[in-house]
Amino acid sequence: MPWLLSCNANDSCCYTRHHQNLISQAIDVHEISITRSIVRTLLSYTGILLFLVNCYILLVKEKLCSYSIWRTIVVLMFAKFVQYKPVKKESIVILSGFGLQLETHYWSGRIVRRFVPRGQIVRPILNECVTPFTCYWSLALILRGEDKLMLGFQELRPPLKLLVPIWKALSSSLDGKEGSTS
Amino acid sequence: MDELKRHRILMVSDFFYPNFGGVESHIYCLSQCLIQLGHKVVVMTHAYGNRSGVRYMTGGLKVYYIPWRPFFMQNTLPTLYGTLPIIRTILIRERISVVHGHQAFSTLCHEALMHARTMGYKSVFTDHSLYGFADVGSIHMNKVLQFTLADIDQAICVSHTSKENTVLRSGIAPEMVFVIPNAVDTAMFTPAPKRLSYDEIVIVVISRLVYRKGADLLVEVIPEVCRLHPNVRFVIGGDGLKRVRLEEMREKYSLQDRVEMLGAVPHARVRSVLVSGHIFLNSSLTEAFCIAILEAASCGLLTVSTRVGGVPEVLPDDMIVLAEPTPADMVHAITKAILLLPNINPFAMHDRMKGLYSWHDVAKRTEVVYDRALLCSGGSLLQRLPRYLNCGAWAGKLFCLVMIINFLLWQLLQLLQPSKSIEEVPDFLMLENQDKEI
Repeated sequence: MPWLLSCNANDSCCYTRHHQNLISQAIDVHEISITRSIVRTLLSYTGILLFLVNCYILLVKEKLCSYSIWRTIVVLMFAKFVQYKPVKKESIVILSGFGLQLETHYWSGRIVRRFVPRGQIVRPILNECVTPFTCYWSLALILRGEDKLMLGFQELRPPLKLLVPIWKALSSSLDGKEGSTS
Repeated sequence: MDELKRHRILMVSDFFYPNFGGVESHIYCLSQCLIQLGHKVVVMTHAYGNRSGVRYMTGGLKVYYIPWRPFFMQNTLPTLYGTLPIIRTILIRERISVVHGHQAFSTLCHEALMHARTMGYKSVFTDHSLYGFADVGSIHMNKVLQFTLADIDQAICVSHTSKENTVLRSGIAPEMVFVIPNAVDTAMFTPAPKRLSYDEIVIVVISRLVYRKGADLLVEVIPEVCRLHPNVRFVIGGDGLKRVRLEEMREKYSLQDRVEMLGAVPHARVRSVLVSGHIFLNSSLTEAFCIAILEAASCGLLTVSTRVGGVPEVLPDDMIVLAEPTPADMVHAITKAILLLPNINPFAMHDRMKGLYSWHDVAKRTEVVYDRALLCSGGSLLQRLPRYLNCGAWAGKLFCLVMIINFLLWQLLQLLQPSKSIEEVPDFLMLENQDKEI
């Protein structure tokens, strides 16, 4: 249940920025990553272990009763609850002149990338998202011709103070582009 | 404004824009006037269709449309503890000091006030309607109201009759109830620039055509008045279940040229309908406070109304003719009103209304209620539980149990999601010339 765990309580969100100036273009990378704590890692492994032990007991038992079903449900919920988020870091790569790329890096090594061309972005905004249980800030992009916003950093949901410098950099790079073409 | 005196108010109700009605416009107008006085106001309501999330209205009024589905007559599904996380999040991130709930029929209002009291925030409740005591629905709702008002800081009612009704239904101490009547936007409801001639008298009726609003009385009264006064014409605006009966009456007495049915009238067009008439007829069978007759008086119409609920408290005696809710008495009252018409000056009436009723006055009086609420002592859970025991032999103990579970759930939430991890929202300043940037 990711909505219950906040970024600052047990894990710490870390914001880093890399700026590279290649021959004619500048690449700006804003990353938000999670630092793993040993306690949380141990807890998540304990959860998996408990679940496997429970499955073994179920298989060994001759008949199923309601108690064992309830126990399985409780152990499954506990294991899911303490499970570590699979996301290692999320980043925005601003390629001035081309657009920007949203990336999600997982602990398993998988990377999911999404590119948004410059012409499609109307404006980046800091939006308050309301769910039935909570309310959080997110960095969103208003896209041309789309009626839905494209949301960034959806897995990690970093606090507002980490999102503000990214939003400022995005706005200034997009405004700078408009200024040079007008 | 001095930071200490500035209140940060959360208005909670199931009834808000885009839905239209008395409670909705009350919350909106009061919020706007409170913002002008320097306070911060945030409104919380349930989502309407696609409209979900955070919206900003005029003056920087922030509205949270919580994505909880309405299940019955615009009310959110009552889950007792389901809304605790989101209400806690909103109260912390907006740094709220007072929670103000509106309308006894709103489940979201009751839940929000319960959670606010558990978390130690000050709470105020406004009741907008009169309710009965005898039928099953009223009995249950009165019990819920008793629960909410057992531990409230202050309450507001819109008329003295409404105060009596609320105090009897809930058992709250009368000293805790303030009476602050509704008001009307006199800038929007102005009389017609040219006075209408008295050759043909036009009687305007604008209401929902339902039993509660006395549509059955209209069916009896209109033919009799048309028979007695050949120069009288009726204009009826509004829609509802009883519209069919009124159409049948028109057919039966051949009054098609004397009774005009407009159908549902959007609020923006109400003024144009009102200024086409001389007399405003209100036939409600029950009314805590009737804003419709305020709007009519502001437009310079003489009002004829049934003497029910809080209606006698609304207008001075020379602006209204009251009647018992029987057809004969109402016909007599309309005759009396027609005779009084030449003495009425619409512009003088409008000026008097400007002095009598204004939303700024309502906001200042509500501010006094908030100040008084902040002075009330909170008390820990153990000090507050005995207040619920007075609600009844079984009900009292049940309510105590509900509050204890709520408290425990709150403590669990504090552990899982500490208050420090919920970021506070920065206050945005509304700049006057922001339209130019867009």
